[in-house]
Amino acid sequence: MALGGTIRGKTTTLRLPTDADLETYNDWMADMRVRRAHRVWNEPAMPATWKERLKATAKEKMDVLWSIDVGGRLVGFATGSFWSPTEPGFTVRQFVIAPDDWRKGFGFDAALALHRYLFDYLDLRRAGVEIRADNVAGLRIADRLGYVEYARGHEVYYRDGAYVDDVQLFMGIDAWRERWGATEREYAPLPADATR
Amino acid sequence: MHGPRLDGRNSVSLVPATLEHFKQYVPWMLQPEVGRFWGPRFGEMTDERQEERFKKTAEDPTQISWTIAYKEEPVGFTGIFDIDWVRRDGESGIFIGRHDLFGRGIASEAVRLRTDFAWRELRLHRVHNWIALANRGSRRANEKSGYQQMGLYRKSFFRSGEWYDEWLGEAFPHTFPDQG
Repeated sequence: MALGGTIRGKTTTLRLPTDADLETYNDWMADMRVRRAHRVWNEPAMPATWKERLKATAKEKMDVLWSIDVGGRLVGFATGSFWSPTEPGFTVRQFVIAPDDWRKGFGFDAALALHRYLFDYLDLRRAGVEIRADNVAGLRIADRLGYVEYARGHEVYYRDGAYVDDVQLFMGIDAWRERWGATEREYAPLPADATR
Repeated sequence: MHGPRLDGRNSVSLVPATLEHFKQYVPWMLQPEVGRFWGPRFGEMTDERQEERFKKTAEDPTQISWTIAYKEEPVGFTGIFDIDWVRRDGESGIFIGRHDLFGRGIASEAVRLRTDFAWRELRLHRVHNWIALANRGSRRANEKSGYQQMGLYRKSFFRSGEWYDEWLGEAFPHTFPDQG
């Protein structure tokens, strides 16, 4: 993946991941609360392996990784993939908030900022995400953002001794503009005389 | 991984792909006759890249890939990809490159062989796929082997002035028809 730059939310900031984040990433990947809510981005590993992963990640062209901070403290990470040169879209692959920071609104704030970047800054046409049917917080965030369900895979994920469904969601730029276009902009409108 | 040889009905077989097959895939994928429901018809389509793909396919434990043979001639390819061996789920795909052979039931038989293999030999729990809703031949071929609609992705791609929706299907061992 490429490494993502700064995207500012109200309380959270998506920022460039660093080597210093990797130990915490490793802890999250070993945390069963995270593993039951999400797919595992990478299995727990030695620090050297994580450094290699970050280096390889930086070279990828279609995928991006961000760390998520609150007040200079690492609270999560987000990854996703651009679709292709002929399809201007983005799939959110992982959106991890530290379990100890759940229910503080960080997930929604960071997700809103990320989607502002995707639609308002990059001018993408669509975004997609797949969320486990028992991840109530994730589904609520997606719903607030404006995602709609277009498919439901049955018995897709296996955890805790049972299968759970996969909810597939989609949001187009029109839905984004309708819900967020008036309030969520990366930049203020250009002054009328800006191009004189 | 390249899948084993599976002999089916009506002279259709799934066979382990060779490097020559992989090189044959390139001209197939670039034809307008097969592009209506397929990719953008450009890419890194060199022999060297196909050699890399061939080796990568052989080494990749998360996919099973076959060449489709009709009367012992390669006519397309199919496989199950991105297999998650914990969830026992994978994504299937099929491509018939010989458009002069469309409508002969080759895809239906290839999907049947592939799906039967997924349940009887791989012990998968689920297989899923995306098919253009208007690609009735491919959709029907999959439905005959137990794929059922799980969703519809509206306006997935735009060709010749029309939006194309995509049909999302999934199959389980219990949806596979009794083969008698």
